[in-house]
Amino acid sequence: MTLTPSARLALIVCQIALAIFVLLPFFWMLSVSLKPATEPFAIPARLWPENPTLENYVTAFRPEFRTYFLNSLIVSGASVVITVTLALLAAYSFARRTLLILTALMSLVVLAQMFPHSAIIIPIYKMMRAADLLNTYASLIIAYVSVTLPVAIWMLRGFLLKLPVSLEEAAAIDGAGPLRVFFEIVVPLARPGIIATAVYVLIVTWQEFLFALSFTSTREMRTLPVGLNDFIGQYGIRYGELMASSVMVSLPVIAVFFFLQRYFVAGLTAGAVKG
Amino acid sequence: MTAKDRWLVWAFLAPALILMGVMLYYPMVGTVIESFYDTSFISPEPEFVGWAVYEKVWNSRQFPEVVWNSIYWTVGVVLLQNVLGFFVAMLLNQGLPAQGLLRALVLLPFVLPGVVTAILWRFMYDPQLGLVNSIMIRLGLFEDNAAWLADADTAMAAVIFVAVWKGFPFSMLIYLAALQNVDKSQLEAATIDGAGPWRRLIDVTLPSIKEVVVVNIVLTLILTFNYFDIVWVMTRGGPQNATHIFPTRIFETGFGQFRFGEAAVYGVFSILILAVLVALYVIVQTGASKRRRTS
Repeated sequence: MTLTPSARLALIVCQIALAIFVLLPFFWMLSVSLKPATEPFAIPARLWPENPTLENYVTAFRPEFRTYFLNSLIVSGASVVITVTLALLAAYSFARRTLLILTALMSLVVLAQMFPHSAIIIPIYKMMRAADLLNTYASLIIAYVSVTLPVAIWMLRGFLLKLPVSLEEAAAIDGAGPLRVFFEIVVPLARPGIIATAVYVLIVTWQEFLFALSFTSTREMRTLPVGLNDFIGQYGIRYGELMASSVMVSLPVIAVFFFLQRYFVAGLTAGAVKG
Repeated sequence: MTAKDRWLVWAFLAPALILMGVMLYYPMVGTVIESFYDTSFISPEPEFVGWAVYEKVWNSRQFPEVVWNSIYWTVGVVLLQNVLGFFVAMLLNQGLPAQGLLRALVLLPFVLPGVVTAILWRFMYDPQLGLVNSIMIRLGLFEDNAAWLADADTAMAAVIFVAVWKGFPFSMLIYLAALQNVDKSQLEAATIDGAGPWRRLIDVTLPSIKEVVVVNIVLTLILTFNYFDIVWVMTRGGPQNATHIFPTRIFETGFGQFRFGEAAVYGVFSILILAVLVALYVIVQTGASKRRRTS
């Protein structure tokens, strides 16, 4: 559509305003994380430190931060692998068979994604306590796999429905058993959907706070979001270190997201718009 | 999979379904059961007390506060997030330069972990050191340093603003995908008939994406109602309970005070409210797919 020059200009101004609205807090986070502890906060605030330094990062990367980071990596990594595997298996059944009971079960899967975590956490906590799993990776991994499964199944099912069935049928006629068809044809073709789902699970589990806060009480088992929340009290108003930690917590997910965002955006919007 | 592989269909489904049954559906029932039990000083073991805990919660001063705050919070976030998300989607759908880059950048808040978002904005709102007051003072909007999060009158609005900042990219993505499916020839026909941008928006664009808008609103209603991390890290429900919504109240009652019975009652109420929202979602969805089939 053609725009008049003045309308175009107005829209470009809107774009710039949007970019400032979105990016200013990020810029501020980065700026404060690079501010030397000796440089005072000016009022009104300076946007960029006079002598930027990495010293806040060095101080913030203390042993407990490294422990939290490792814990997050283990819990998120395991959750991604397990959720994607279980979801792909389930989604394949949902996508390839049309039984009335499967339609009903799929509705239950969609329904489960809307459950409030805060309302179901007490019985889950009691189960974990009874199984002696509090303060273990297992408690968080089990909870994360369960809460990410509904959306993961829904995303992968939408993806599998768009794959041509003819390849699978041809392989079956050639004598390939159902398991071989699944592993040698379906899994490779579903790769973009698998990546999109993995990114979703990573984003959710990397920042998960409620379960991590409730199920872990020892420092050794805390994940990054809970650890970061503890820092608020410990650091007082040492905002430089707090912001440096925040940047280090955010960078991995932001990096993964930017490399893989086209998969994720396609996976999310395809399912969401199609319903 | 062929008909004779029925065992395989169920073998593939079993792990996921069993896990969701035990970890999501059973706890829903568990919360309801829990709400009829209470622990007392005499017996630390949970004791069946019927509706007693419900009565206690219903008559407490906190209950109407939590209900009112949850409404304020949910309606505020959903409304602003969808309006902003929609207009940004419109803006990024105009074929302007740099819009691919801008779309990628707009998604940044969506990916930023919730706790990081909350800590960053706590700092942004800091009365003395924060950027918000710096900007306000420089623009001449405020003389003194407003304590956004410490003042019961502004705390909720301040937290809503942050949730919108983090949430609008998600709504934008879905609106953008819907806008890209709008029939271009209809838009051109309207332009030839002399319709300006507003007329085109109201007569062509909105009617053709109506379903996506409604589904998106109901979906964000459900997600927003369940929000926990940003509110908890920014205010812990304070000041003076001004930002306590259902999830934060449940967490504080359950894991802060270990009054599981009361927390479960709040949980049951939030499940009931959500059930209404989910029913709304189902009605909208089935209506939408019926129309899709007939058209």
